[in-house]
Amino acid sequence: MADLAAAVGRTLGVLTFPLERSKLRELALALHDEDPVWHDADSAAADGFDGGVPVPPTATVLAAHWSDGGIIGPPLALGMDIRRLLHGESAWTFTGVPVRLGDDLTATMVVADVTERPGRTGGTMTLLKIDTAFVNQRGEAVAALRDTWVEKAAP
Amino acid sequence: MSAVPSAPIPLAAGDVLPPRTVGPMTRNHFVRYAGAGGDFNPIHHDETLAQASGYPGVFGMGLLHAGILGVQLARWVGPDNIRSFAVRYTAQVWPGDELTFTGTVTDVVDGLASITLEVVRQTGEVAARATATAVALAP
Repeated sequence: MADLAAAVGRTLGVLTFPLERSKLRELALALHDEDPVWHDADSAAADGFDGGVPVPPTATVLAAHWSDGGIIGPPLALGMDIRRLLHGESAWTFTGVPVRLGDDLTATMVVADVTERPGRTGGTMTLLKIDTAFVNQRGEAVAALRDTWVEKAAP
Repeated sequence: MSAVPSAPIPLAAGDVLPPRTVGPMTRNHFVRYAGAGGDFNPIHHDETLAQASGYPGVFGMGLLHAGILGVQLARWVGPDNIRSFAVRYTAQVWPGDELTFTGTVTDVVDGLASITLEVVRQTGEVAARATATAVALAP
């Protein structure tokens, strides 16, 4: 995976995506939450959100709809094998700037780290960490995400 | 449904996330999340490819149960109060699984609560372990 190691520090892409009502409703329902607070202004106001409609903490995944190959596009573009690919970790930090339906977030993805380890049953497994920074339409940092992708050792 | 907090809530060590069980998980749930979250890795919906890759069949994406856990966390502490949420995927989620989502405040320091959370399969196997921090009020 010498090529992959050489990618550390590379910016994989910058994209801007909308936190739009239909996708947020679809996401909330897919996450087994039917509360309209996640997509309806009146419901959000009734819960005390006077600055708009809040979003679930993992709503940054909606960037995938604007990224080549969706959520697994980056590890595949870097040469990882889809048959051996697993998601290892997802770690968000939030600045405290509220994220609201209607925000446009700009995501910047950077290869943070590549590590190789012996696989449990031989061979070599590879861990790929990708950092994504999210900034809103006012230029305020709202969140950062570190994804760890695992390519299991070849059988 | 109970209101989602718009402001920090009082939290103290030992407080627990209202536990919730979701399931049985189905292929339909996986496909629904694939469309919602933009994860069309075929290993989560293509039985033939999943088996050719050495799995008994398709399994759920980590971001599905991480997302369910995240929305439960947000319903508890308030979405604007979460400062970190880190999820490690420790086992696969299979069709038919009943998942239980739990969380406990471990400590509160300077108005920031530390929380550990888990997603547990009906077998007792932990599918995901998570930590979170959230701004909270003194109880």
